[in-house]
Amino acid sequence: MIRNPFCDLQPMKAEPARPVSRREFLHLLAATGGAGAVVKASAALGLLPASAEASTLQLAPGNGRSALILGGGLSGLTVAHELAKTGWDCTILEASQRCGGRIFTVRHGTLIDELGNRQVCDFDDAPHLYFNAGAARIPSTHRTLLNYCKELEVELEIFVNENKSCWVQDDAMLGGRPVRNAEYTTHMRGFLAELMAKAMTETDMDEPFTDSEAETLLGMIRSFGNLDEEHVYRGSFRAGHASGGYLDDGVQKDIIALRDLLKTRLGMGLLRASEGETGPILLQARGGMDRIVDGFLRQIGDRVRYRAMVASIDVRDDGVEVACDHDGSRRQFRADYCFNCIPTHLVTGLDHNFPADYVEALGYVRRGAAYKAAFQARERFWEQQDIYGGITWMTNPSRQIWYPIAGIHQRKGVILGAYDYINGMHHTSMTQQQRVEAHLADGEKVHPGYRELVERPVTVAWHRMNHMLGCSARWPRDSGGWSQAEQARYRLLQAPLNGRHYMIGDQISMHSAWMESALLSAHWALNDLDLRLRNSPA
Amino acid sequence: MPITCPFRRLFRICLLAAAASLAGSAMAAPGERLDDRYCTTCHGADGRGNEAVQAPKLAGMASWYLRLQLENYRAGIRGAHPGDIEGLAMQPMAAGLTDESIEDILDWIGGWKVIPATPTISGDVAAGAALYRTCATCHGAAAEGSEALGAPALAGQNDWYMVTQLENFLAGARGAHPEDIRGAQMRTMTAVLGGEQDIRDVVAYINSLTARMVE
Repeated sequence: MIRNPFCDLQPMKAEPARPVSRREFLHLLAATGGAGAVVKASAALGLLPASAEASTLQLAPGNGRSALILGGGLSGLTVAHELAKTGWDCTILEASQRCGGRIFTVRHGTLIDELGNRQVCDFDDAPHLYFNAGAARIPSTHRTLLNYCKELEVELEIFVNENKSCWVQDDAMLGGRPVRNAEYTTHMRGFLAELMAKAMTETDMDEPFTDSEAETLLGMIRSFGNLDEEHVYRGSFRAGHASGGYLDDGVQKDIIALRDLLKTRLGMGLLRASEGETGPILLQARGGMDRIVDGFLRQIGDRVRYRAMVASIDVRDDGVEVACDHDGSRRQFRADYCFNCIPTHLVTGLDHNFPADYVEALGYVRRGAAYKAAFQARERFWEQQDIYGGITWMTNPSRQIWYPIAGIHQRKGVILGAYDYINGMHHTSMTQQQRVEAHLADGEKVHPGYRELVERPVTVAWHRMNHMLGCSARWPRDSGGWSQAEQARYRLLQAPLNGRHYMIGDQISMHSAWMESALLSAHWALNDLDLRLRNSPA
Repeated sequence: MPITCPFRRLFRICLLAAAASLAGSAMAAPGERLDDRYCTTCHGADGRGNEAVQAPKLAGMASWYLRLQLENYRAGIRGAHPGDIEGLAMQPMAAGLTDESIEDILDWIGGWKVIPATPTISGDVAAGAALYRTCATCHGAAAEGSEALGAPALAGQNDWYMVTQLENFLAGARGAHPEDIRGAQMRTMTAVLGGEQDIRDVVAYINSLTARMVE
């Protein structure tokens, strides 16, 4: 049921109705071209999960039961932490040298264990010189994650996502000259508002708006686009001042022609910034997102075995046996229950006794290919351009530049030089040298002299990261969303195998790539097991 | 003996070293492992093969064949053609390997438990048997392989991998590099395969040989 957005407008009676129905109005808007993107954006918004209370657990005492946790990603850490609290005997087997999975902060000395491209970060050794190569943003609606940050005393700070002072660059627009986000979006909104106002005023209406409603709506449209009394957009100070404004008269920047703005498709993303998942205030862990991992490890760090690579999983009626390779030898572990956050596409490569439909479901999930790169900047040149945090958008393959909040006004900073969450294979398939050159060339288009301003590149191609080979799980094969068969596979993997083996992680959710999903997946498994244990006599 | 050009290899190693220094990265961090035993991340526990990441079974592959392929990958003889999607992913893994690393990896793989692959593909086994007569010349009647003829064992291998490789040979995505002598031979032989159905049939027949091997 779609809530009627007009139902709060009172009074509805007595006033003469003007002759355009809402439907016709929206139709007209769509016909003028301005609303296509808006409709799409609202469809995208539909994907945003409902804001919920934080998920909390009330688990029964463990009474010495044991659990093996395969993988030290966020969901695995959460299970270990929660079970340890209630007296379970837990062991985490982590294949790599670190916990956190795709919560990965790169700083001085960090090993980036990409297959075929091992890197060691040589940023200067300073607290603010770090790069969140995986998880980087916590929406304020992700209550469960925020709860853990509070419980584990992880200090948080605001993350700046949308910043109108950042740049927009497209080779096809204005000869490739970058413009400020504020310029682009202000002008585009002005032109869109003109279209909307025309649709409002030039159309006969056969039903619904009252004069008062129409006046309110028109007022919003004018305000949205900063139109003048004649409903014409004549530029706006919102796009920035060309000069003056404080001690001298302010001079408006020239309007960029609509035709020029339409040379780029970046507007579709720019106009829905701060919507959906990035609509709430965003936060980050101060000093790097892996502070969250550290928080968990302060509680359960002694239960982690590093460089313990699982080789086989044998799910039995009375427990789970796991073999893993550690220090050159194969060791057997046994526990009553097993929680597995190893990526599905790697589980299929293990020796196991899973039934065929379970294996088929594991193999069905495709792996994402997100890619990020970062540089250390010799100086914080963006601050000279009024930029403190936020994202520059480009149409070139590097796509984004992120400016750090950490270390404001220090000499150096670490900037994200590329983030491709859709087609990361473009850079992944390059050599390190080619990747870096590509990002330098792309960045140069926004920041002249970039090549000399940045140094010490690191790249993180998740598709090739050791023990992960992907970011993040891609379930639906059709852009229209999840099919019933896909949902059935997902529910099959979510349910415990033989009551003993739980697949967990953001991969076992309908909203992969977010930490909150990993936590909720872990909580689902823990609650399910808790219920089973409470209901079973043994 | 595999055919490789020592100068080419030296050149590549220098290039890699230059790339690494430009990228500002040392090759190892203190306290981190230095070996190149990465295979099982993709190829699965004991190199059993993992279809989800299209990485074939390594356990049971003969050392001479693995060595030749690693050297071919390292030299860009294999895994450089844009049509060879999986080979392109493998090539960078081998690009930085030293001869010592390759021998170390082969030693490691030699110690793995060999489990014949589970069939995933069906076809007309009788038709496949007829087609396989050509293959048997080099790969052997039981698909056991022959080092002398440079033909790897096929029985026990992942069928989906064999399909991909046959498709690649047919399309010229594998075996077309001028220095890939064995690959060129194989390309000539794949000419007997008329298309997708023939590939499935011959692989189905090889699966039946795998089943016999298990017995």
